[in-house]
Amino acid sequence: MNLHRIIALIRRIVLQIIQDRRSIALIIIAPLIIMSLVGFSFIDKPKILNTISPALIASFSLFLTFMLTAVSFLRERQLGTLERLTTTPVRTFEILIGYLISFYFFAIIQSLIVVFFTIFVLGIDYQGEIWQMLLIVLIITFVAVNLGILISTFAKNEFQIIQFNPIIIAPQIFLSGLILPVSELPSYFQVIAKIIPLRYAVDCLQGIMLKGNSLNEISNDLIILSGFGIIFLCLATLTIRHLK
Amino acid sequence: MDESVISAQNINFNYGETHILKNLSLSINAGEIYGIIGPSGSGKTTLIKIILGLLKLNSGELNVFGQKVISKKLNRIGYMPQISALYEDLTVFQNIDFFARMYETKNRVEIIHTLLEQVKLLDHKNQVIGKLSGGQRQRVSLAIALVHNPPLLLLDEPTVGLDPKLRHELWQYFEKLSSQSTTLLISSHTMDDANHCQKIGFIYDGSIITEGSPKELCESVENKKMTLEEVFLNIVSNR
Repeated sequence: MNLHRIIALIRRIVLQIIQDRRSIALIIIAPLIIMSLVGFSFIDKPKILNTISPALIASFSLFLTFMLTAVSFLRERQLGTLERLTTTPVRTFEILIGYLISFYFFAIIQSLIVVFFTIFVLGIDYQGEIWQMLLIVLIITFVAVNLGILISTFAKNEFQIIQFNPIIIAPQIFLSGLILPVSELPSYFQVIAKIIPLRYAVDCLQGIMLKGNSLNEISNDLIILSGFGIIFLCLATLTIRHLK
Repeated sequence: MDESVISAQNINFNYGETHILKNLSLSINAGEIYGIIGPSGSGKTTLIKIILGLLKLNSGELNVFGQKVISKKLNRIGYMPQISALYEDLTVFQNIDFFARMYETKNRVEIIHTLLEQVKLLDHKNQVIGKLSGGQRQRVSLAIALVHNPPLLLLDEPTVGLDPKLRHELWQYFEKLSSQSTTLLISSHTMDDANHCQKIGFIYDGSIITEGSPKELCESVENKKMTLEEVFLNIVSNR
């Protein structure tokens, strides 16, 4: 692995996004709008807001990161720059690590906005430590970045990326416990919920925020959630190689 | 000693059921400007992508710098794709600099400035790619292909969209590179480009139908007054 090339990749992607002021503004404004809309709808029902806030944080972190990554990576392919890159001595894994770290940087900004807005602006009651919540958000962001890169390799344009939302993101939100607790879903949906990464992120956050669980107590869910991230990373590496 | 930089023997490439390249053979010597000339869809871009290792051939033998494995030779090949493939939000300098870092080019800044001067874009070095004209983008793309001083250049339709003056300047530059022993494989569908090449391979329907210098090809037909375009059409109609 060549560290200089990875740093050059990260530098280039960060430069590209920073120089596009409109994109930077949207990265910051989009989570604020979504969280304001949902949060202030329940502002007079603090009990409901407290109960759903862990699922809201996890769901929006997944959704926003997935979209940011999938669209950015798709653009690389559409412009032909990804193909051109593969004609240089850079390795597929170095490209992926470069993209992963760069997108992670912006995805974390969005996820932090979601967490801090929920805690400090909507003023929800929570137990557990903020750093523990952030850790879970960082892991679901890791899952979302890899999932975004993986799915973008199957899309030919932005329209198709948007069409992947009802297939990839919406079922996760529905089956993660945001609308109904997983235990109250029909038994066949409970089975499907076991292979849904978001469900484990929601379980972790609910454990920390509502029950004050320690990381040790949610370690099983944490390991499974991280496992999803690693599997998506491996699959993304394979699909990019295939694209080459 | 075999002087071939690129040597292809009966290579075949299928895309699904469609045969894109059919028993294509060619040999390109060091320092040569070889034009792969043919209409759209004849297999020019596919051939270049196979040489780069972006596509895998179905059968036949291909050697680049005397070796089959291309991945270890990429730092010796400069590639200019048909579409400019540049980062629209970055400046001219940032684009070239990024690729220079990928090739780990020594004395990067100095080399980039020299290249920008050669492609006449020094005044535009801080301009964002999105604001450049088609011709300017082509020249940035060429500078990227040259940033690691490769001995082999694969240029896919490099003169498309350029005005006659720029095209002329670009060809002068290609000839200068060739005189410095850089090998150039240039794809094109125009006979104006073909006339500048030292050797031409007319490609049609996935095969090289004839090969030779522009002069040799014009003399290969009965009517010696035919233009290259007429020679091409003549060969195609007699197939």
